[in-house]
Amino acid sequence: MSALLEVRDLKVRYGGNLALSVGALSLGHGEIIGVVGGNGAGKSTLVNAVAGWSRGAPRVEGSVQLGGRDISALPTHRRVREGLLLVPEGKLIFGTMTVEENLAEGIDDPGEGRKPYSVEEIYALFPRLAERRGHLGSQLSGGERQMLGIGRALRLAPRALLLDEPSIGLAPKLVRTVLQSVSDLRAHGLSVLLVEQNVKAAIEVVDRVLLLERGQVVLEGTAAEMRNNPRIAEAYLGAQRA
Amino acid sequence: MATVFGTIAVLALAVAGFFVPAAFGGGGAVYSACVLIAIFAVMAYGLDLIVSDLGEVSLGHPVFFASGAYATALLSTEAGLSPVLTFVASLAVAMALALLVGFITLRLREFVFSLVTYAVTVVALTLAENWSALGGSDGIAGIPLFTVDAGIASFRAVTDRDLWPVAYGLLLATLWLVSAFRRSRLGNAALKVHLNPRLATMSGIDPQKTRLMVFLVSAPMTAAAGWLYAYQRAYISADLLSPYFLILMLTAVVIIGRRLLLAPLMGVALILVQEKFFSFGGDVDRIILGCALIVSLAFLPGGIAGTARALAARIRRSDDPARTNAKNEGAT
Amino acid sequence: MNLGQQILNGLVLGHSYALIAIGWTVLLGVARLVNFAHGQMYMMGAFVAWMVMAKVGLPYPLALVTSVLAGVLIGFVMQEVMLGLTLRQDLVSIMIVTLGFGYVLHGVAAIAFGSTGQILDTPFSTINVYWNDIWFTGQDLFIIAVTVAFFIALQLVLAKSRLGRLARMVAEDPKLAILAGVDVRRVYFGVFAFQGAAVALAGAIVGPRTPILTSMGFEEVIITFFVVVLGGIGSVLGSYLAGLSLGLFTAFFGALVSPAYTTPAAFLVLIAVLVLRPGGLAAKPGGA
Repeated sequence: MSALLEVRDLKVRYGGNLALSVGALSLGHGEIIGVVGGNGAGKSTLVNAVAGWSRGAPRVEGSVQLGGRDISALPTHRRVREGLLLVPEGKLIFGTMTVEENLAEGIDDPGEGRKPYSVEEIYALFPRLAERRGHLGSQLSGGERQMLGIGRALRLAPRALLLDEPSIGLAPKLVRTVLQSVSDLRAHGLSVLLVEQNVKAAIEVVDRVLLLERGQVVLEGTAAEMRNNPRIAEAYLGAQRA
Repeated sequence: MATVFGTIAVLALAVAGFFVPAAFGGGGAVYSACVLIAIFAVMAYGLDLIVSDLGEVSLGHPVFFASGAYATALLSTEAGLSPVLTFVASLAVAMALALLVGFITLRLREFVFSLVTYAVTVVALTLAENWSALGGSDGIAGIPLFTVDAGIASFRAVTDRDLWPVAYGLLLATLWLVSAFRRSRLGNAALKVHLNPRLATMSGIDPQKTRLMVFLVSAPMTAAAGWLYAYQRAYISADLLSPYFLILMLTAVVIIGRRLLLAPLMGVALILVQEKFFSFGGDVDRIILGCALIVSLAFLPGGIAGTARALAARIRRSDDPARTNAKNEGAT
Repeated sequence: MNLGQQILNGLVLGHSYALIAIGWTVLLGVARLVNFAHGQMYMMGAFVAWMVMAKVGLPYPLALVTSVLAGVLIGFVMQEVMLGLTLRQDLVSIMIVTLGFGYVLHGVAAIAFGSTGQILDTPFSTINVYWNDIWFTGQDLFIIAVTVAFFIALQLVLAKSRLGRLARMVAEDPKLAILAGVDVRRVYFGVFAFQGAAVALAGAIVGPRTPILTSMGFEEVIITFFVVVLGGIGSVLGSYLAGLSLGLFTAFFGALVSPAYTTPAAFLVLIAVLVLRPGGLAAKPGGA
């Protein structure tokens, strides 16, 4: 089976500094890959570069293929329309708009094999959002914002979902809820690239793990292989200390 | 050695500049154009300090230009003051206005700063048009000839040819002042405030004070141009505050390139030569000038000089095979 | 002083100001852009309407449509030229470029329409209404009606429609809007076209109140600036109220003190506002 998302020779530079260099990365259909590593390892840089997005102005080289089609030359909003959805770290929802308005932008005719979630389906997935549908984005808690960010992406019929630190700043119980919903999405055929500092929680839901250090992939393997790998444990502890 | 040669070269250039009108035939029209180029260049240098060094766009500089011209016109016609005294008065009035505008805009940045300074110009325009003390919409006519009596010798400028030494002298003095400013502590501080305000503050520079000081250097420069312009025209009106002078200054400052000593002078020369010798009528000239401003900012970042440099660099690099295919789509 | 007359004058002026300014309010609120050619676009709107009626002989409604189309066209051309600057958010350069555009428009208009003043007569401007000791024209009523309708429609579009939602998304966070699949460039183009259309419409509707000249536009930018700042940048309702206040202020200041000095007086008020709450300017619409 060919991979859904294929990344080749991805290099990201800020100014003159090489911040990320990934030779090859492929995400299969219905697969969840966890990207782990310490602070500044390049995890966010990786998913941002794949999406062709950044709040800064990096120089990005390399090719990104989605479903066998090279999308490297497409502007970010077109990649989104092709089904490559990034839920960024930090500010990920519109604070001046209500939950309902945040979810309003859908995609009508996404093409073969893609299905946009309806607003009701998203409320079913995250009942908490349904209760808060009239609230402004800025009034939501951290966990609710993550749910809304993911919900906003689901409305656009993603084929691959790039999630950047969905558990950051959340209480342990919420972390499990959010990650569990990510796992549920896979059951519906979605592929996910999941950036997580919380290695211990992430490893429970992912199929494969990618360890990044200083902008390079230093370790790669199935979740089962990696669970007891000392370097992963180290990364986990590092994240705990950070 | 190099500095000695440099000084000699600069002096030679300064002397040669004096004979530019003569080199172009020395006709009356040539002298008039050269005098105007010198005056408007001095006017533009005042703005250049704000745009190139301080990094803000003042749209209030026509007010300083007009203040010099009005002070000169009023004091020479009503009080009979000599050019030396009207010069001093022009600078004083401009500095007082600069303090006022500087204080109002002390904490404003970017487009709000520009808008408020623009409003200052519009307000000054309505005042000049309506206030009878400033001549109202008729303006002030009958400004006497530029005459300096120094006991034994006296100087009297009847034509633009006579006025040329004064204009050229003013231009040289301005050029010296601008280059001295850029080498001074204040010029340095202005640039730091422009490029990295936070760092500037940390290295002990007070950004607001710096801004005010730069204003106090810049405004008299532009006012000095107004001073000479009043004598050259012998008549002034609220037209001094019309968009023409503002657009002229701005275009002159950006068209060649920022922070190049001779750039505003070359810019003014380019515009005036077109208007005086290759004119297509006022309205077409207006379109040309406006388009020059648009094109230099929208398509030639760094002005003509910057574009020329970039082109030269590209030609040099074109045989370099190791060009990378940098991509950064979508990251808008 | 005829109090009723001044209130009426103030209301008409105020609605005129609000209508002139509304394009800028949206432009600044959504795209963070300023346009110094605003005043010349107003002038263009008035002259295009004048030409369509006086030279071509078409009726006023068609003249309004033509003016709006001309405004859209100018907006498109400007945005096309400035796209690079817009995407880089190089506000300072954009500002100067638009100043240049205003200057070019002035030259173009002088060539196309001549430099003499013209009277833009509409079917409404010749209707005079006398009511007790108050006098107004049909055009005055038309200005108020159009402005009120325009503001209500705009408020509805911004709050309820997809278009308005996209505009608000871009206003709050253009980068995040991209991730929602929004083509931010198209929104910028749309906003510029809207600004052109709105101010050209204002020209064709407010223009008939005074003789029109191709050299107009200098003051309209300043009025717009006052309205936008006093109303709170990007606020539609705020602009309406600010326009109204400025109109009443102008009418009463003109009647009580001097009509020649209303701009300087209004400027003093603006400076007071800027000094008293400089933060009010920094407050961005939609900023979380």
